[in-house]
Amino acid sequence: MIGTHATLEIVDGLAWITLVAPQRSLPVLDLALIADLETAVTELERRSDWQGLVVRGREELVFAAGADIDAIAGLTDELEARALIERGQRLYDRIEDLRGRIRGRMVAAIGGACAGGAFELALALGTILAVDDPRTKIGLPEVMLGILPAWGGSTRLPRRIGVPAALEVILQGRLMGAREAHRKGLVDRLCAKEDLWRIAGELARGTLPLARRSRGLAGLLVDRNPAAIGALAWLARRQVRARTGGHYPAPLEIARVVPQAVLSSRTSSLHLEAELAARLVVSPVTKHLIRIFRLSEEAKGLAKFADGTRAQSPRVIGVLGAGVMGRGIANICAERGFATRLFDIAPAALDAALFEHRAAVESKLKKRRVQRHEALAQLDALDTTAELATLTRQELVIEAVAEKLDVKRKVFRELAARLPADAILATNTSSLSVSAIAEGLPNPERVVGLHFFNPVAKMPLVEIVRGRATSEATLRRTAAFALSLGKTPIITADCAGFLVNRLLGPYLDECVRMLEAGVDPARLERALKRFGMPMGPLELLDEVGLDIAAHAAQSLHSAYGARMQPCGTLERMLAAKRLGKKSGLGFYKHGPRRRLAKDLARFVTQVDPALARLSEAAIAERALLAMLCEAARALEERVVESARELDLATIFGMGFPPFRGGLLAWADELGPRERNARLAALHGGVNPRFEPAGRILAGCMFHAG
Amino acid sequence: MSSQSQDLVLAAGVRTPWARAGGAFAREDAGHLGALVTRELLARTGIRGQDGGGIAELIAGCVGPPHDQANVARVIALRAGLPQAMPARTVARNCASGMESVSCAISALRAGEGEAFLCLGVEVMSRYPLVMNDALTGFFDSLSRARTPLAKLRSIARFRPAMLAPRIALLEGLTDPVSGLIMGRTAEILAREQSITREAADQYALESHRRALTARTSGRFARELVPVLPQGARPGARPGARPGPQPGPQPGAQALAEDDAIRADQSLTALAKLKPYFEKPDGRVTVGNSCGITDGACALLVSTRAKAQSLGLKPLARIVAHAWTGCDPARMGLGPVYASREALRRADLSWKDMDVVEINEAFAAQVLACLRLLPELDPARVNVNGGAIALGHPVGATGSRLLLTLAHELHERGARYGLASLCIGGGQGGAFILERCES
Repeated sequence: MIGTHATLEIVDGLAWITLVAPQRSLPVLDLALIADLETAVTELERRSDWQGLVVRGREELVFAAGADIDAIAGLTDELEARALIERGQRLYDRIEDLRGRIRGRMVAAIGGACAGGAFELALALGTILAVDDPRTKIGLPEVMLGILPAWGGSTRLPRRIGVPAALEVILQGRLMGAREAHRKGLVDRLCAKEDLWRIAGELARGTLPLARRSRGLAGLLVDRNPAAIGALAWLARRQVRARTGGHYPAPLEIARVVPQAVLSSRTSSLHLEAELAARLVVSPVTKHLIRIFRLSEEAKGLAKFADGTRAQSPRVIGVLGAGVMGRGIANICAERGFATRLFDIAPAALDAALFEHRAAVESKLKKRRVQRHEALAQLDALDTTAELATLTRQELVIEAVAEKLDVKRKVFRELAARLPADAILATNTSSLSVSAIAEGLPNPERVVGLHFFNPVAKMPLVEIVRGRATSEATLRRTAAFALSLGKTPIITADCAGFLVNRLLGPYLDECVRMLEAGVDPARLERALKRFGMPMGPLELLDEVGLDIAAHAAQSLHSAYGARMQPCGTLERMLAAKRLGKKSGLGFYKHGPRRRLAKDLARFVTQVDPALARLSEAAIAERALLAMLCEAARALEERVVESARELDLATIFGMGFPPFRGGLLAWADELGPRERNARLAALHGGVNPRFEPAGRILAGCMFHAG
Repeated sequence: MSSQSQDLVLAAGVRTPWARAGGAFAREDAGHLGALVTRELLARTGIRGQDGGGIAELIAGCVGPPHDQANVARVIALRAGLPQAMPARTVARNCASGMESVSCAISALRAGEGEAFLCLGVEVMSRYPLVMNDALTGFFDSLSRARTPLAKLRSIARFRPAMLAPRIALLEGLTDPVSGLIMGRTAEILAREQSITREAADQYALESHRRALTARTSGRFARELVPVLPQGARPGARPGARPGPQPGPQPGAQALAEDDAIRADQSLTALAKLKPYFEKPDGRVTVGNSCGITDGACALLVSTRAKAQSLGLKPLARIVAHAWTGCDPARMGLGPVYASREALRRADLSWKDMDVVEINEAFAAQVLACLRLLPELDPARVNVNGGAIALGHPVGATGSRLLLTLAHELHERGARYGLASLCIGGGQGGAFILERCES
């Protein structure tokens, strides 16, 4: 049978289903492919001249990418979602049931990406053979999109590897390499790319033995023991609630469906999968998560020129300044295999940077995320020097030295004299103008802002700042570099605070003002955390450093005027030598345990009884509306290309809760009328921070539709 | 001028500090140190590692490469980011392996096999292994061949405690198997035959430390050195550090920035207290007047003058001539005498033309013996910045360091010719003559 998306051929008693889908670079389990598979399975059910089955991709390292996310995103009706889910379930059930009719095995021959619905297909087949190659990525990442594996994955995986392991895999949603997947039991056997189809055939025929791992004592004690399963389920739910604050429904449902799968029948377990998944698919949280996923995929296109050609990332990197940011940047560059040279005038700082880098690589080695020789290469990739003159052949240099214009200009000028004319000079400045730094430098078109966030290893966003002279080529090459580092880039204009810090400024200041007006600091922190922010505002200020925060607030004030006027508390903190985490005391006392400082009452300037009585929800709203007003202005000024980038930036740059879809998505959910009403109350005709602008003024939504 | 452009030059060089064995570099390995110093040399010279910069090969002198990095030169070349297409070989001529790598480069350059070579000398003596003795090896061998439980039991019963005594590779490496003499004893032979007293040897040793200390504190070695934060270092104390103020310009920094074997507090009384190490009770050679055991790596770029120019480099020195000679293994310490005579003959120069001389300080008695046999050599010109007694002798790397230090010293003094020589275990000598290149 030859379909457009899948083919079936039976050769010498062995059936081969190939996922072809030629129009896509990576086949997707969309309706067309499912229809072809259904036809193929019908054929197999009819015929009896085959004793083994192999399902494979059109190439060894091209299998299928899982279910059609675009289709899922488009579902709005729960019944429609249920129908789609059940269709896939039925297909996989039919495949699984073929097993009873044959002497041989049914083998999934996978390589490259095989996740989600594609891996569920493999689970239904039962015998999984994978290519041992770094490009092989296996897992069930549905939780990341706010759903759960609903094509039998939540049922078949725990039956295959046990409930605890299956819970870990499905709740984390992480994609694993071939070896880790093999170790964890997701894959039965590994082989080289060139041997994949031959070995798959032999396994399917039954001529090659396969040692099945037995679960042993654990299987006996746990897998069939309702009490043990119940305990596991309860533990899982508790952990999930602690980690997600109850904002994400999917993990909780996963903790419901996975444990019961080993105790109930296939039919009832699948029934539960479908019921829960259908509800999740049409929920607003899932819609947000899917949108964010697609946004971050789009960001990958930033490295392409208008004509579709891909820019090349620079490979030889220099980093100037071994402070917190410089160290972090040098570490991730070296971990990603870039030949990196870190410069600082202080040898002690260079030592600290090397210790940090080595510790990071060692910890990955211990967790078996890398092999020994890969770890050695990552250690080799970072060199340090106190001699600027040894930077001679770098293709991109990131400076993270002191935030002083003359210092930055001076070091770039020295480098420009030695480096090739097309070497990109990137600045990690957060408070100075990129155009100002570029002034007077030869070939200013290669100067760009490349703003990382702290901690560098964890924060996914980088702001690529377009200076006055910055060329298109520089932007694209820098974006390619940022993507190679595993970061999500957005391109911003060269305005004070760029985007993220410009939005954080009024938000944090508004929070501190609430403190000054008598709002209880513990309630303030709780309010924003309950909203979904990863840290309370006072904790964030302490992390960043109150000196840095105050400095940033000053530059925002000079650039934007009255609406950015900082309150006095930060200055008073600095006068009392309270710098936050780095000095051990700020809003919090940082010791073996972090506690709010007991004397915060002295920073209250004038109690406003109305504010002090605000509910936690209202507190959070007030702070975020301050951020929103600024966002509306930023959007109007085209600091970023569109509302979509702005939302992406809030999520990846400051941890705005993904389940809300981003700052502007949240505002849209409030609705323009409600939003404007609350702003008007806060603005009261006088408060410049809440003065409406842009689309707020126009009273329309930020996102179309 | 065409003949000038065919000159062979030492175009550039850099080395790590020498660290006392079992100290700062105790967890280092030759591949890592060698790669680090190579990357530094490439960075300083502006050569793009990725393209290879027109370098034909990397040759590394190493007497004891780690057993899992047998061709340590190749490991170093790949870890330094040099292209896969660039070949690499490891060479050994005992204590002169660092010079041997340069000598190999010279032969290849003269044969037209390339325009530039990376010549390394690297040795991590701290990691010399302990080896199972033959009895223990035989034990494991018979155990693995035993098939039946009874046979296995019989094999196990053959175990004897004496099997646990390891062979110490360091000691065995420093012993010449033909004469049966450990190096220190060859120095004792020379001391007796040349009537060199214990006091004279101690005095010489003290002078080596003094000169090295002066050189270190005055920053004389600064141009040669790249600081190294060693593998295995932990934030906090530096392993193997001596108590008291640490050498180095930056307090609080833990990278090793300077040679740390030099004893600032060395004195004749302290030296006199030591017992003879190799021949008790009447020997003259102690650990105090012998070279220290250290770890280190040194990288040199050796090329034609034309190539150095096209790379935009100002060469350190022109390589005028070199020579390898053989002598009695029991008197290997006199190697420098014969090798330098031969090198001078080939260069058609004499001792009075040599403004600066390095004779490797394997043992104070050995250097003094050489000086006795070379009356025409002015001792004031010899080892002016101290030597291996103070700095240590990482066997494969010393040869490279002597050339680098000599070349810099010629510039320091505005001198013209210099000669560097080594004695070699097994009875050989090596010598190189350098001429300062006009800056």
